[in-house]
Amino acid sequence: MIQLDQVSFAYPSQGPTVRDLSFHIRKGEFVALLGANGAGKTTTVRLIDGLIRPTSGRVLIGGADTAGSSVSQRARRVGFLFQNPDRQICKNTVREEILFGLNAVRAEEGPEKLAARTDRVLADFGFTGDEEPFSLSRGQRQRVALASILAAEPEVLILDEPTTGLDYQECCHIMDRIRRMNREQQVTVIMVCHDMEVVLDYVDRALVMAGGRLLADGPVRQIFRDAALMERASILPPQMIDLSLRLDLPGADSPETMADAILAAKGGKPA
Amino acid sequence: MKELFQYVPGQSLLHRLNPVTKLILTIMICAAAFITSSVFFLLGLLAVDLAIGLIAGVARKTLGILRGLMKIAVFLFVLQVLLSRQGTPVFWIITDRGLLTAATVVLRLVVVCMPLALVLAVTRVSDLSNALVQVLHVPYKYAFTLTTAIRFIPQFLEEMSDIMEAQTARGIAFDQARGLKKLGMMLPLCAPLLISSVRRTDQTAAAAEIRGFSLRTSASAFRRYPFHLEDALVLGFCVLLIAASILL
Repeated sequence: MIQLDQVSFAYPSQGPTVRDLSFHIRKGEFVALLGANGAGKTTTVRLIDGLIRPTSGRVLIGGADTAGSSVSQRARRVGFLFQNPDRQICKNTVREEILFGLNAVRAEEGPEKLAARTDRVLADFGFTGDEEPFSLSRGQRQRVALASILAAEPEVLILDEPTTGLDYQECCHIMDRIRRMNREQQVTVIMVCHDMEVVLDYVDRALVMAGGRLLADGPVRQIFRDAALMERASILPPQMIDLSLRLDLPGADSPETMADAILAAKGGKPA
Repeated sequence: MKELFQYVPGQSLLHRLNPVTKLILTIMICAAAFITSSVFFLLGLLAVDLAIGLIAGVARKTLGILRGLMKIAVFLFVLQVLLSRQGTPVFWIITDRGLLTAATVVLRLVVVCMPLALVLAVTRVSDLSNALVQVLHVPYKYAFTLTTAIRFIPQFLEEMSDIMEAQTARGIAFDQARGLKKLGMMLPLCAPLLISSVRRTDQTAAAAEIRGFSLRTSASAFRRYPFHLEDALVLGFCVLLIAASILL
């Protein structure tokens, strides 16, 4: 679905931000880009969406080079949820906000179908449609931004730190909805995230970056268990993984599996 | 555009001048441009602007500002030439007086706009505000308002650019529209920009209050801004400039 071939990028008057990035993301995968600040994660997702053009190499989405089309043309296939929802929201009600995005990417469907789409998304996200977006909480505004993107049913969803500044419940609302779309509609999800607990709970595959380069690529649990890699990428693994490593209980990466592993180690019967 | 009001570090004569001297130089260049009606004197003032940029070591930025102003200048020149009916026609509806007036207006615009951007390129905004309070005894509240307005310009431009990027990513064709069409598309984005600006202003006000904003006086500044010989020379040049603009 998404392919990066030897992609490098440098901002003007700066050294290269990402260098020789090559990876392939298949349809329906849920992938996280992990790394410390300045590792090149946000630059990579901006390169994938074409918001910036690679200085060398190429980015392919669905087999087509992103250099051949504009970002706005690709918006129908690729949704991008930014860290700050206020940059996206510009209408007075949630309904208008969702319709504004839909009119840009699915205008050919006609007003009736778009209204029906909007109603479905509003019901799905629990909005009446008459709410004023700027009066809502940060988490709810992030949900409005997400609803507006998901209404267009993109094939690829790019998330740049979508849970920053959200409380646990708001974070779960957002992530549960994204995972449902990923599982049910095979939407490919690429997420930049600093919350490793969220990554462990929702993501299948992790790409680890440092200094603009790709350090590792693999299943998320395997990545988190590589202590040397975590050290090189300046990442602290999730608490459960850290605890299981310290207790030397491989496979114990959730409270349930941890309880089973401890019981098994004591010679008891798993629950 | 974002870099227009940004400070460029350096050790040039212009960098070393007292911020108040630089401000006076700017005001005097502007005053001279409005006093004179001679195209040649205005050209001389433009040469002074360019020389300032060269001495300050920001020649590239100076040319960038000039290039930006030329777009507006060309538009104004054409408008002025077409609207002016006084004088002898030289071609179609274009008159000699029209050409002269248009050249004066355009040159005046360029000469007046350049020094402010150049002063901000060679003066830290904090130095400008502190010097205004310490040397001219401007109340800190007003100096802070002025410098905050200047400081916010690049931030607002960056914010607008980020908002446009976010809208492009959701399918609004900013990357394909040009001119008036693009301007029309930008109108709905005023709401998020205004809201983020109000939020930022609120946060800045709260942060300033927490750090004892209301307690600041002209004695609070850590750095001192004395006048040196070079300041006196520049001020002398300012007097000559005004005198020449009246006489020529």
